[in-house]
Amino acid sequence: MTIPARPADARQVDPRGLRLAAWLTSAVLVAVLLTGSGVLLAVQLAVFAVGALAGLRYAPYGLLFRVLVAPRLGPPTEREAEGPPRFAQAVGAGFALVGLVGYATGLPVLGAVATGAALVAALLNATTGFCLGCEVYLLARRATASRSAGPHPA
Amino acid sequence: MSGVGVVVLGVALLVSALGALWVRARDGAVRAPMSSVGGQGAQVTTQSVLAGLGIDPGAADLTVVQFSTAFCAPCRQTRARLQQMQTSRPGLAYVHVDAESHLDEVRRLDVRRTPTLFYLDRAGTLLGRSSGAPRPAELEALADAHAPVGGGR
Repeated sequence: MTIPARPADARQVDPRGLRLAAWLTSAVLVAVLLTGSGVLLAVQLAVFAVGALAGLRYAPYGLLFRVLVAPRLGPPTEREAEGPPRFAQAVGAGFALVGLVGYATGLPVLGAVATGAALVAALLNATTGFCLGCEVYLLARRATASRSAGPHPA
Repeated sequence: MSGVGVVVLGVALLVSALGALWVRARDGAVRAPMSSVGGQGAQVTTQSVLAGLGIDPGAADLTVVQFSTAFCAPCRQTRARLQQMQTSRPGLAYVHVDAESHLDEVRRLDVRRTPTLFYLDRAGTLLGRSSGAPRPAELEALADAHAPVGGGR
């Protein structure tokens, strides 16, 4: 008894590259918080957006990993599907966008809180490999598809 | 320097550290159903919901039910590990459920994360549940206790 695999989901990425990208993302977001720079946050938003929309092959931090780091480490011992981390990039882009709106409209508290939320997700991913953006997915589906819930409140 | 930014940074670092500790301590750990809220009621609910999905624990010594989503890296690796374990353990049954197409069951079982796994013995007793990639040693121990390598059917 099983659910058929998604055939289009065959694209794989090196998990070591994802961890490095999470560390770089964390560093940039720390710098955004310290400087309050909307411009720097816009750069990170672009990085998130490229990964989410174009795919992780084109994600800037992933390119850095492949060109500068991977040749020194050798081939990966394991690979993982691109879908989950790519979805997480989209979640990160959402937070970065909210933060950017905050910084750009004179609401630095909004900017900092949204940036801080993205930083927590990036740091958790960097230190433990845990993908907070991925975890949000099922909760969001549970919450948004509530019309079929009938008498069972979530 | 941004004053607000420094405060938020401090909070974010603290939350990240606590989150990382939580992940290390709890992620993938099997929880016994009796210790969770609901006790006997949770047993009955879980059994009836799983039965509603067409799952019959009486068909194997140990039945492992995994709820997965598409955006879940550890789901794949967990599935591969269990399918690998099945090759040497004839008493182990493995059922894979796509959480997104069974959202009612997901709510009733209070599945919040994927992968979430339920472990049932042949009598239908819920042995426990776990969320996150199960810990290999814990999974092996559970399987050894109920569906050992090369064990009878």
